[in-house]
Amino acid sequence: MKKPLGADLIIPALALGFAAYFFVSIADLAWEAKANGVIIGTILVFLILIQVARIAAQWARGKASLSLETVIEPREAIVKRVGLVAVTIAFIATLHWLGLTLGLLLAMLAALWLMGARGKVLFVIPIVVAAAAYLLFVALLNTDIPHGPIERLFS
Amino acid sequence: MTWEFLLEQFAVQFGLWWVIIPAIFLGIIVGILPGFSPQNTLIMLLPLTLAVPVEQAMAFMIALYCANHLAGGIPAILVKIPGSGGAAATTLDGYPMTQKGQAQQALVLCFTASVFGGLITTLATLALLPWLSQIGLYLRSVEMVVVMLFGLTLIAVIAAKDTLKALIAGFFGLLVGVIGTDHIYNTPRATFGFLELYDGVPLVPALIGLFAISEALVMLEEKMIVDEAGRERALRVRWADTIDGLRLSVQKWWHIVWTAFVGLFIGIVPGAGASIAAFVAYQQSRLWSKHPEQYGTGIPEGVIAPESANNGVTSGTLVPTLALGVPGGSTAAVMMIVLQYHGMVMGPRLFASNPNVAYGVFVSMAVAYVFMIFTILPLARYMSRVVLFETTYLAPIIVLVTIVAAFGERQYLFDMALALVFGVIGYVAHKTSYHVTAILIGILLGPLFEQYLVRALRISQGDLTILFSSTLGNILWGFLVLSLVLPVLKTRFSRSSPPQP
Repeated sequence: MKKPLGADLIIPALALGFAAYFFVSIADLAWEAKANGVIIGTILVFLILIQVARIAAQWARGKASLSLETVIEPREAIVKRVGLVAVTIAFIATLHWLGLTLGLLLAMLAALWLMGARGKVLFVIPIVVAAAAYLLFVALLNTDIPHGPIERLFS
Repeated sequence: MTWEFLLEQFAVQFGLWWVIIPAIFLGIIVGILPGFSPQNTLIMLLPLTLAVPVEQAMAFMIALYCANHLAGGIPAILVKIPGSGGAAATTLDGYPMTQKGQAQQALVLCFTASVFGGLITTLATLALLPWLSQIGLYLRSVEMVVVMLFGLTLIAVIAAKDTLKALIAGFFGLLVGVIGTDHIYNTPRATFGFLELYDGVPLVPALIGLFAISEALVMLEEKMIVDEAGRERALRVRWADTIDGLRLSVQKWWHIVWTAFVGLFIGIVPGAGASIAAFVAYQQSRLWSKHPEQYGTGIPEGVIAPESANNGVTSGTLVPTLALGVPGGSTAAVMMIVLQYHGMVMGPRLFASNPNVAYGVFVSMAVAYVFMIFTILPLARYMSRVVLFETTYLAPIIVLVTIVAAFGERQYLFDMALALVFGVIGYVAHKTSYHVTAILIGILLGPLFEQYLVRALRISQGDLTILFSSTLGNILWGFLVLSLVLPVLKTRFSRSSPPQP
């Protein structure tokens, strides 16, 4: 069976892209501002080339495939994983309007439902977590986290 | 400093139990939550610490600081989420112990190593203070570059299963660590146009993303974070497991002692801090071990080394603060502000003009550690039950609560999004064995490394040979090469030696 090594190229590709962007962004700077980045970036590119060559050699010998299954498997967890990331993005995006307590309550509800939680626990955990977050971040530590209808109600 | 003076100081500090015990509990809560650093908490409580007498203020701050260093290991062991950068190395063996159903033993090891490591180094600092305070003076930019590189070699050594992948992860982290404005001209580099990145990549969102969020995304694949056997053990938590943890701590007492001193000496170097100390101690522990191959599988030494070292740092950090007026870290800087507000002048004169404060700080630390062991040890039994939560509930709580914690350090919504980005990168790295710890070490060391490298190169007008121009630096280079070569030689030697009958 061929070893799925396609996913092993994701981090090198990301690093290579970032290194390229880094070099472009420092092109016109004084040597003091780019010395460190050039040294580190050059070593990084060199290491990535070795890794690419290593994977390419295994692929050419027929011992490896460029499949991405390492990051995808197990497939039954994909919906939960992508769903959790999507809920988190929605939570951050709406935090400004909903405020911490309501935003967290709704995000927890959605995330737990996606994970398959049902019944009383689906409501109990979000209420407890949102209340604890309110007490800690708003009432006790008085952070600048966005306030929404619940925070305004209790202020 | 006489014995009478010392005993009197201990009596005074024990009398401040009503300040120290609440500070310990506050420090533990703050330490468990990623994103809540002791310095931020102390800043928020500054009005309180400025209003009370300096002895009480220092006792409070010291107890909170030490408890915070200890508590970072708790989530690192239970759910693989380090409460602070100093506890990142604890995940390497602490979490595998939890997965084997030994969470209670791992927590007890963490507590005893932290408390006794911290206590021993505090007492040693008290005795050796006049000499220790000189160490920082000998480390200039050239030597610091080598110290930083020494930290970098850990990347390859810690993740020895695939050194190339570990190096890619580490250097990627280092490059990410260079994001932001440079130290000389303040010109932005690779900030993607975000003003929020001008100060560099904030460590807390990186830590939360790479460890907490990525781990939660991986966690979803299983019903529980422990296997069936581990679950059975966790269900049968007994005081005997706490005693077993204590037995292991007594058995490994020498390990606690020497790794604590690694922390102490690194703590004295301004800027180095608990994260570097924990990784150096872990790496040295593995290097000198008779069974290095077992590191990472959940062994007591792998928990003791980073925990003992990151608490050894606590007293070390205060040495340059008090003796030279150079804060060894950000928390020490806050303490320095409080001391200066109360009219204390930092430097060697402090020990002559205000010995009750100068030495009292370390006595207070020792007393805090004594109180800590009695307050936290019985809690290990109950804390270990966290692993019985199903991942269905645990993963959303971890992701959403830690993403809120990412807001805590700088109070930017941007940092929450950044934590999520690091979470996705961490997930891919985790699944493809690119070692998220190596990425974190890189991000952590990036800015410091650049600072010292550019300083050294400016002195030599860009000539790289300056890095080999000092005797101490060259000795450190020798150690660096040794720590890279020794593991290879040891592996070769163990392969070539005939099997024992």
